[in-house]
Amino acid sequence: MNGLKLPAMAAALLVLALTTRWAVSAEPEKPADYQWNLPKGFPRPYVPADNPMSAAKVELGRYLFYDSRMSVNGKQSCANCHKQDLAFTDGRAVGVGATGELHSRSAMSLVNVAYSAALTWSNPEMKSLEKQALVPMFGDHPVELGLREGDAFLPLLRSDSRYAALFARAFPADTDRFTMANVTKAIASFERSIISARSPYDRYHYDREDDAVSESAKRGEILFFSQHISCFRCHSGFNFSDATASERNADREIEFHNTGLYNLSGGLSYPSPNVGIYEFTHAPADVGKFKAPTLRNIALTAPYMHDGSIQTLEGVLDHYAAGGRRIASGPMAGNGHDNPNKDHLIGGFPLSAQDRADLIDFLKCLTDDEVIRDPRFANPWL
Amino acid sequence: MFHKQLFIRIAAVAGVWASLMFAQTPAPAVAQAPAKLVVSGDVAKPITLGAEDLAAMPREKVSIPDQDGTQVEYEGVTLREILQRAGTPLGNQLRGKALTTYVLAKAHDGYQVVFALGEIDASFGNGKILVVDKRDGKALFGYQGPLRLVCPDDKAGARSVRMLETLEVVQLQK
Ligand code: HEC
Ligand code: HEC
Repeated sequence: MNGLKLPAMAAALLVLALTTRWAVSAEPEKPADYQWNLPKGFPRPYVPADNPMSAAKVELGRYLFYDSRMSVNGKQSCANCHKQDLAFTDGRAVGVGATGELHSRSAMSLVNVAYSAALTWSNPEMKSLEKQALVPMFGDHPVELGLREGDAFLPLLRSDSRYAALFARAFPADTDRFTMANVTKAIASFERSIISARSPYDRYHYDREDDAVSESAKRGEILFFSQHISCFRCHSGFNFSDATASERNADREIEFHNTGLYNLSGGLSYPSPNVGIYEFTHAPADVGKFKAPTLRNIALTAPYMHDGSIQTLEGVLDHYAAGGRRIASGPMAGNGHDNPNKDHLIGGFPLSAQDRADLIDFLKCLTDDEVIRDPRFANPWL
Repeated sequence: MFHKQLFIRIAAVAGVWASLMFAQTPAPAVAQAPAKLVVSGDVAKPITLGAEDLAAMPREKVSIPDQDGTQVEYEGVTLREILQRAGTPLGNQLRGKALTTYVLAKAHDGYQVVFALGEIDASFGNGKILVVDKRDGKALFGYQGPLRLVCPDDKAGARSVRMLETLEVVQLQK
């Protein structure tokens, strides 16, 4: 099904707590030496008090993120599904785990994930990157990395001289540094460091470089923020997602939306297991409600939507312009336009060829070529 | 106590931010025209203000949190000042039937919101509403400009009309 189900998650956490030296170092961590260097318009991300940022943790996290020994058969790391050149997605409709098992959903971009008020496509309770990392590592619905308690992974870290040095710098105060809690803290710190703020749009909008984007992209921006097209109502703010939180706005209440992708008849209107936050709330009105993800680097992250079921940005615009997707035949048949849970903002709108081209140009100027080449986020093992 | 205050502050920040994001003016896909504000309707002298007129009027600044908490400074002229120029009944003239007057703020694409004169008059609501042309010292552009309203006292942002073009004054009882 999807990631770790809640009881399974609780059990996994419990087992971890018992079998590994869970979390807790006695001494407080050193004050963060971390420089965000955030540009204008970008607030400081929320960082949990028990895992302050440090350059050493970020560096350790990067090694772990790219280490394929962190999987059941040595074949996969986080980076197999989150590739830097694709803005940390994998180009597939749905993720494929180390053992070849398919995920039901599409790998998500990790760029600016530090600002995400809730993680994954549709889990309102998943708010911590530290906890989220356990899902791909230990989850078995589906198997992603396929680690097991008590397997060779922590001993391997302990015996690797490079990790010995990295862990010592990242967790100098801990007596036993090689814990799963420290692994996830370091990975989360690395993820938080991946910030994209240098797209042509940022240069236009924040630095006021008028020729950073085309005239067509400028028109597209106005359409994106217009009342009748209204993309900005859900893809809002500097991160183009209304599920955005930051240091000063950490507990933001977020909304999930049904955009009318499906309308199956009989049973639930969205195909199982991708039923949106209904999976957690069991409220019928929540079927099909997903997080509005960031649109930064969107030109790099096809195919689109939680299940990768739309191939192109043009296809995404068709979906919104029609006010929902009609699937004529087959097991998914139904007119998403009429989904009873559809957000009232997804009403459809006329879209001329010019408007369409302008909107696409606007979306393309959200691509940050620096973040996908930045050596700080690249594979350190090469 | 502390938590409650903190919560209120966060809620206020989120509110103003949400309000600014949601203040929307639908917009046709045309190149940006120069700033122009028409004040018309039931006024003693209808006026049209350009960028230079606004620059020559008394200017005010407000600093409010944007998005998830970064501070933004807007600069412009108060709505009250602009309406006074056009001879709208404010101050000691705002009494009797004049109190049935409202202002319809209209954006480029037809988005509209209403303010009652009593809301902005110093003796009544005394609300500060600005017609702004600068954000952080730079001219508003793109989907925000060239002119917009900023209502720092509103909790929601839907009246902070972007791409503002017209203020139409309507007196209901004459
Ligand atoms: C098998 C492919 C795969 C692997 C391996 C994988 N992920 Fe993912 N990742 C996904 C998918 C699919 C999703 C969407 C999950 C969902 O909606 O339940 C996702 C979502 C995420 C998210 C949520 C992003 C957001 O914007 O909400 C984070 C964070 C993340 N992964 C981090 C990691 C880390 C860290 C690792 C390594 C420990 C990892 N992933 C390994 C496929 C993968
Ligand atoms: C009512 C809120 C809402 C509005 C309005 C909205 N979106 Fe979305 N958007 C979402 C949600 C929710 C998703 C994820 C839906 C899913 O996977 O089922 C999404 C997904 C997307 C995706 C795919 C993201 C990815 O990583 O795969 C793109 C692209 C996108 N929207 C663009 C737009 C554009 C362009 C507009 C305006 C025409 C728009 N959206 C309007 C809520 C919205």
